[in-house]
Amino acid sequence: MFGIGIAKGLAVTFKHFIETYLDDLKYFPRRYSEVALESRQSVRGRGLFTVQYPEQERPVPEAFRFLPFLVYDIHVEGDTTRQVVRCTACGICARVCPPQCIWIVRAQDEKGKPLTAPAEFCIDIDVCMNCGFCAEFCPFDSIVMDHEYKLADYERHVGHIYNLQKLLRPAGYYARIRPNQYAARQAAKKESAAKEE
Amino acid sequence: MTPSSEQRLQNVTLPDDWRNLLATPVNLVYNWGRMYSLWPLAFGLACCAIEMMATFAARFDLGRFGAELMRPSPRQADLLIVSGTVTKKMVPQIVRLYNQMPEPKYVIAMGACATAGGPFKEGYNVVSGIDKFLPVDVYIPGCPPTPQAFLEGFLRLQEKIKRQSIFEVPWYRKDARSEEIPVPLYGPDLIDPRRIPLIKETLTKQRATRMQPTPAAEQVEAAPCEKALKLPVWDITPLPAAEALAQRLNQAIGDSCVTPEKDVLVVQPARLVEVATYLRDTPELHYDLLSNVTGVDYLGRDPRFEVVYHLYSTSRGGGPLVLKARVPEQNPELPSLVPVWPSANFQEREVWDLFGIRFTGHPNLKRILLWEGFHGHPLRKDWREPYYEEPVKPFSSRWPAGHYQAAEARNPYHDNVSYPSQYPPGVEWDPEVWSPLEEELPIVDYRELPHLRISTDKIVVNVGPQHPSTHGVFRMVLTLDGETVLHAEPVVGYLHRNHEKIGERNSWLMNMPYTDRLDYLNAMGNNLGYAIAVERLMGIEVPERAEYLRVIMAELNRVFSHMSFAGFLTNELGSAFTPFLYAFKERELILDLFEEASGSRMMCNYLRFGGVANDVDDDWLERARYLAHERLPRKLDEFEQLLNENEILVSRLKGVSILTPEKAVAYGITGPILRSTGLPYDIRRVEPYSIYHRFDFRIPLLHNGDLYDRYLIRILEAREAVKILNQALDQIPKGPIQAGKKAWQTRVPAGEVYARIEHPKGELGYYLVSNGTGNPWRYRVRSPSFINLTALSEMCRGLKVADVIVALGALDIVLGEVDR
Repeated sequence: MFGIGIAKGLAVTFKHFIETYLDDLKYFPRRYSEVALESRQSVRGRGLFTVQYPEQERPVPEAFRFLPFLVYDIHVEGDTTRQVVRCTACGICARVCPPQCIWIVRAQDEKGKPLTAPAEFCIDIDVCMNCGFCAEFCPFDSIVMDHEYKLADYERHVGHIYNLQKLLRPAGYYARIRPNQYAARQAAKKESAAKEE
Repeated sequence: MTPSSEQRLQNVTLPDDWRNLLATPVNLVYNWGRMYSLWPLAFGLACCAIEMMATFAARFDLGRFGAELMRPSPRQADLLIVSGTVTKKMVPQIVRLYNQMPEPKYVIAMGACATAGGPFKEGYNVVSGIDKFLPVDVYIPGCPPTPQAFLEGFLRLQEKIKRQSIFEVPWYRKDARSEEIPVPLYGPDLIDPRRIPLIKETLTKQRATRMQPTPAAEQVEAAPCEKALKLPVWDITPLPAAEALAQRLNQAIGDSCVTPEKDVLVVQPARLVEVATYLRDTPELHYDLLSNVTGVDYLGRDPRFEVVYHLYSTSRGGGPLVLKARVPEQNPELPSLVPVWPSANFQEREVWDLFGIRFTGHPNLKRILLWEGFHGHPLRKDWREPYYEEPVKPFSSRWPAGHYQAAEARNPYHDNVSYPSQYPPGVEWDPEVWSPLEEELPIVDYRELPHLRISTDKIVVNVGPQHPSTHGVFRMVLTLDGETVLHAEPVVGYLHRNHEKIGERNSWLMNMPYTDRLDYLNAMGNNLGYAIAVERLMGIEVPERAEYLRVIMAELNRVFSHMSFAGFLTNELGSAFTPFLYAFKERELILDLFEEASGSRMMCNYLRFGGVANDVDDDWLERARYLAHERLPRKLDEFEQLLNENEILVSRLKGVSILTPEKAVAYGITGPILRSTGLPYDIRRVEPYSIYHRFDFRIPLLHNGDLYDRYLIRILEAREAVKILNQALDQIPKGPIQAGKKAWQTRVPAGEVYARIEHPKGELGYYLVSNGTGNPWRYRVRSPSFINLTALSEMCRGLKVADVIVALGALDIVLGEVDR
């Protein structure tokens, strides 16, 4: 009979409609609670699929990559603390970068001998393609992909050219956003240090 | 009003700052109303548009902010979201759209490309930021920004609106007239009318000093970088099979019409058509599918250019027969193969456009990706774009003394353009009085085409490039007789982001993330094709677990691609968004898995030569299993229930736009559309790659070749993909995921390779030529969407206008791949 096909299709949408409310009942009276959000966003989820951003936020997984940042360690010497930038200005990140958005000036001593530190480090985030090669191939674990994505801005010509100061983040931040990667790389570092000894 | 009350009113004295007193409550209401009812223009350019659509879909639901009403007409919209790469070919259209929008209007530059050109900034057809033309309110960084990042940008825009004051905004002031932005022109390069004085001044200065540093095409450097321009040389001793075939052809057609070189036949240009016809028509050869046509520029060798043809036989399966024809630098010309294989049509036009090789006898030899009058042929090795820096990456200016310098600073126009000082040769070029060269104009005048010479009244209707149902920036010129289509001429190139030119400058590894951006709905599949091609040249084996992960990712992508196809198709039929929303819901779940494994939702960049980037854990596999075993089959059932028997859908699709298998093959159509005509040709079976031979799956086959079959076959294929997924997820072994050590520098032995995979859209092939250095000499993408479009005109002949939109939708094109 003409119309059966449409009716069948409408039954599907109606089912979705009903399911949303049935699922809400499960979490009554807090249908937007964290528990509800997590279960609805999983592969087993049913019901209302919407994340109520900005009140709720979808967490990003550890592997998530947006823009790179540079890691510094905090060394304590007596009662003074010192920032030690991990980057040695070896230039691998600048050379592996597909759109070539990383610019590094290697530091020099007075005689002009190159030092293992960057004097300038610059990333043009409007050219960066978030591919993560720089972090993947960094032998010193000093450039890492950040999780921060709320970067919308009214201006780009100054704010979107990240310099060394703007790129630096403490190692603790790195350990917090990428605990597994941090632990694994740290363990690998210790191992290679032990081997050298 | 009585005089007394008038009197009274005159006596009322307002405080001096009555505006300020009023301002707060009025502005509150005024801005509240505006910020929660932004109407975006239904307009998307590239990859970012998909993430924008994801923001409109169920999970992120921009409707919560009052912005779900996408307006197809700029006259009803007040928000222009520039989402994706702005090309020079597209920018006049964008400016026009912006001019048509009424005040107040806002512009969001979404993603790195729209903001400043992004990863494609160096490309010759890419505008380095839409803010060169339009005032931008909010910039959203990211490539692409995640939907949440996009929402954040949207909130910023609302904040901006909130801070505006009704008494100060320009659009209510009598003295302020909304100035139209002059529309850029297509010249030898893009001409911004506002810059004409600057262009003239710069050109005069250059002429005066006899210095011509900028016009890229004219610049000839004395000593080009030797490493970069090292000619590829490899062993060309003929293989027995090629030798036997060459002998046979020489006997049949005439002496020395072909010479074997390794597995390739080099054909004399004059005999090309004869050889091609023989290869096609001899029953036991039967090379009926001309899959790939491309040019290679061997700068420094004589003859300089080479055109490469890859032929397949749909009845015999197996690998390709490669034909090559060589043409000299002076007056490069070849006979066209369109009469033998119509599938050569667009590809020969592309070779003409990018290499400047003419094809005599071609029915419509016009530029295809760029516009008529563009100066030079970009894929020639000695052609240089405005932001040209060095022949190959990495650039030496980045390290060890990498003082930041914007690309704009190197260009006298501070823009990604360059102009010849003399154009045409011998005549000083003037941007104000300019017309394209005689020889640059099409050989065949479009108005002279036979379908326009008929005597009844016909109308030419232009659809696109900004049209809500052309899948992006695609344009077609319809010639109509009443409501019936006589001819549909696709016009592409509005998203031509110079993938191949950039790819030849990139190192081998750098191309991996760029492939993500080809068919941006199938990043994993693009990665797979490229990885397979390079691995074949390098001769490396991939570990078991990595192979399984590759198949799992590619098939997950296929399921989503086919589901979203159904969503887009119904959208084009004029139905509401339901199937689209359902498809994007499943997409989100699949993308969650991708994001966890690779770090990015869309631009996965997951495969490496000899493996994959990251391993996945058991929890990931468990969820993927649930998806493949339980959820996706259920959702596909739902899809079928929703659509299969829907009377409107059936009556719109059944029996419309029928394609026979013979025609489909002749036009080079591959993938689901070919199989919907009844020809069982699936690369996973006829030329297996990766580990597909291990899995048990069917090749779904339908026989009507109409639109309905094109829809149904995709659902059936999605089911087979789920079947492969189930097997792969159950069998996946433990073990390493990378062969050898992961290296950031890859050297690939000299040679050439053509590797192809069964992409959701058809045959995705990569033709690579290596000269043994760290960068490809030639990097060519044979994209299924582009070549499937060749048949559009054939498919649309005799249809009604409304059906043309559906026929286009059923081709399932992705513009990132069409235009590259």
